Amino acid sequence: MEQFFQQLINGLVLGGIYALIAVGYTMVYGIIQLINFAHGEIFMLGAYIAFTLVTFFPLPIWVAILVGMLFCAGVGMLMDYVAYRPLRNAPRLSALITAIGVSIGLQNLVRMIWGAKPQTFSEESLPAFFRQVSPLVEPTSFFSFLGSSFTENAIQFTENVSLAYLDLTIIILAIILMVGLNRLVTLTKIGKAMRACAQNRVAANLMGIKTNKVIAITFAIGSALGAVAGVMVGVRENINPLMGFHKGVAAFAAAVLGGIGNITGAMVGGLLMGLAEVFGAGYIDSLIGLFFHIIGLGEFYEAEKISHSYGSGYRIAISYIVMIIVILIRPTGLFGKSSAHRA
Amino acid sequence: MENNETPTKENRDEMKDIVTRVVDVAKSKNLIFIILVCAIPLLTMAMDGISNIFRNWNIFLPIPSGDYILYITVQVCVYILLAVGLNIVCGYAGLLDLGYVAFYLVGGYTAGLLMRHLGVPYWFILPIAILNGALWGLIRGAPTLRLTGDYFAIVTFGFAEVLFRVVKNEIWLIRDINGFVKDIPRASIFGLELNQNWQHFYHILILTGIVIFVSHRLQHSRIGRAWIAIREDEQAAGSMGINVSRYKSLAFAISAAIGALGGAFLAQFYGTLSAKTFEFWESILILCMVILGGKGSIKGAILGAVIIGSLSEVLREILLRFPPDYAGARYLIFGIILVLLMRFRPAGLIFKRT
Repeated sequence: MEQFFQQLINGLVLGGIYALIAVGYTMVYGIIQLINFAHGEIFMLGAYIAFTLVTFFPLPIWVAILVGMLFCAGVGMLMDYVAYRPLRNAPRLSALITAIGVSIGLQNLVRMIWGAKPQTFSEESLPAFFRQVSPLVEPTSFFSFLGSSFTENAIQFTENVSLAYLDLTIIILAIILMVGLNRLVTLTKIGKAMRACAQNRVAANLMGIKTNKVIAITFAIGSALGAVAGVMVGVRENINPLMGFHKGVAAFAAAVLGGIGNITGAMVGGLLMGLAEVFGAGYIDSLIGLFFHIIGLGEFYEAEKISHSYGSGYRIAISYIVMIIVILIRPTGLFGKSSAHRA
Repeated sequence: MENNETPTKENRDEMKDIVTRVVDVAKSKNLIFIILVCAIPLLTMAMDGISNIFRNWNIFLPIPSGDYILYITVQVCVYILLAVGLNIVCGYAGLLDLGYVAFYLVGGYTAGLLMRHLGVPYWFILPIAILNGALWGLIRGAPTLRLTGDYFAIVTFGFAEVLFRVVKNEIWLIRDINGFVKDIPRASIFGLELNQNWQHFYHILILTGIVIFVSHRLQHSRIGRAWIAIREDEQAAGSMGINVSRYKSLAFAISAAIGALGGAFLAQFYGTLSAKTFEFWESILILCMVILGGKGSIKGAILGAVIIGSLSEVLREILLRFPPDYAGARYLIFGIILVLLMRFRPAGLIFKRT
């Protein structure tokens, strides 16, 4: 049971990150019906920019996140201006192929600049309460509250269930950004313009909305949120040129799960996808083992070690499988309207 | 009846016609082109000879060895075969397939595993691999029949990635980690093993020729016209009496079978398979070829495969001299090619459609 709660916490943190990335996919799709394959690369770029700022010009991580957001917003708008805007009225597949081209290009550019090896934020560059504490050292508890103790980098609920302050920050930051985005889209003038563009771009243009500007702002907002998620993943795991591809596809799957084009859907889909990935990776080995024992092939299973590392090996595939199943069974996702033209 | 023995004037005219036609064909560029292609091994031998002569005089020409050029030519031929195969789904049926590498993988591992572990001869493997590829094409095709556009592209991509993970993880099936299959025997004819690059050049040339011929005949048949009708407007095609699901499934199966054929050839040509060969980027590379040449045109697919295939090899060779992180520059260039093509020439270099 303790393992279950720990997985639940991990799943929620990952889900928050996926939700932040998925929002970028879904906003762009909502407005111009384009699967922006390169969004994952923007996310990765954010992590690399923050990493560089923190490592080479020792800036605090908060400043680095802000600069990364601005930089990625700029790259997102530039990408729209250079690659997608000329194709606004071209067939949709042309834009999709362009997006793939941009994605490969950016990914390999980053690989040339920063190298293919995974890198981690150095301990000194992070605030003290974000650092990993060696598991060999007994954590010192500063004070206890309702049976959980607060140590220097985590809240220990029980001996084996803990929530790192880093993860707590990620969850809080994700919630703040999500609520902020929701307010922006529902309450402000630019949000209204975005919704108008999503409904009917031509009509919105006729009503005097500068659609190109609105689309550029959409790209900027999505990219900035992606950059925040990138830094979070970078601090929590590591940064490498493939992270945008892997996490990007999972987040895209989350957007599809929630109903692509729907911002609330992307948030919920992100959370569900994070949980699915963590629980899937955590329990698939024992489930498959159980299955083989039930159908009477237990010995074969043990002898051939059929699934001895499925948890890690198929971790990435979980999101692909969820995505395929959603597209095949309910292409409009959980929250999408059942409109025929989307499929 | 008696006319059969002595040729009449009409018969003589007919014979004259045939002679002039044969001469015409000989004069045409195509035949010269075919003869040139068939003579590539001779040309590389001549190149080797020339550089050997110069080497005897202690002059080292900066040209690669003929055998290496042949090796690359074989790879380019495989790319032509794959591009022509992908062109069936992407060009004729007009569906964006982002996971073509899946069928290449199926063919490769069918051939590799059966030849390595069960010792099945290569010529039995070829039809098995083709059928297996077609089967997987149908397996993927059946649920995706009603999808179009982006959603089809995404499902194909996911399918290829899942298959990639399977060969990477299913150690009991592949019998090695990371999808490695080593020491795959090469093809042999009458007990004679094909282990020279020029032999494999003719081998793949024949396979590619057959594939191009089949694809060409399909394009100009009832089936090809049905595919193009579906591409232009699926609903209209359906209401004209074309069985949309049947023709789409056929396109998936044939395209997948061609991909599997390419994979089976490569398995015995390389002698080693690894999961790394079948990453997502390989699909994009083949897609890039089809789009560069022009979707829906066989000549375009061939041209694209020759340009991108040789560019890819030349770049790989050049980039080896740079730090290893620069190996990605190849894909950077392909990404830029895709973006520029879509921007300035979305129909590709050879544009046929009206």
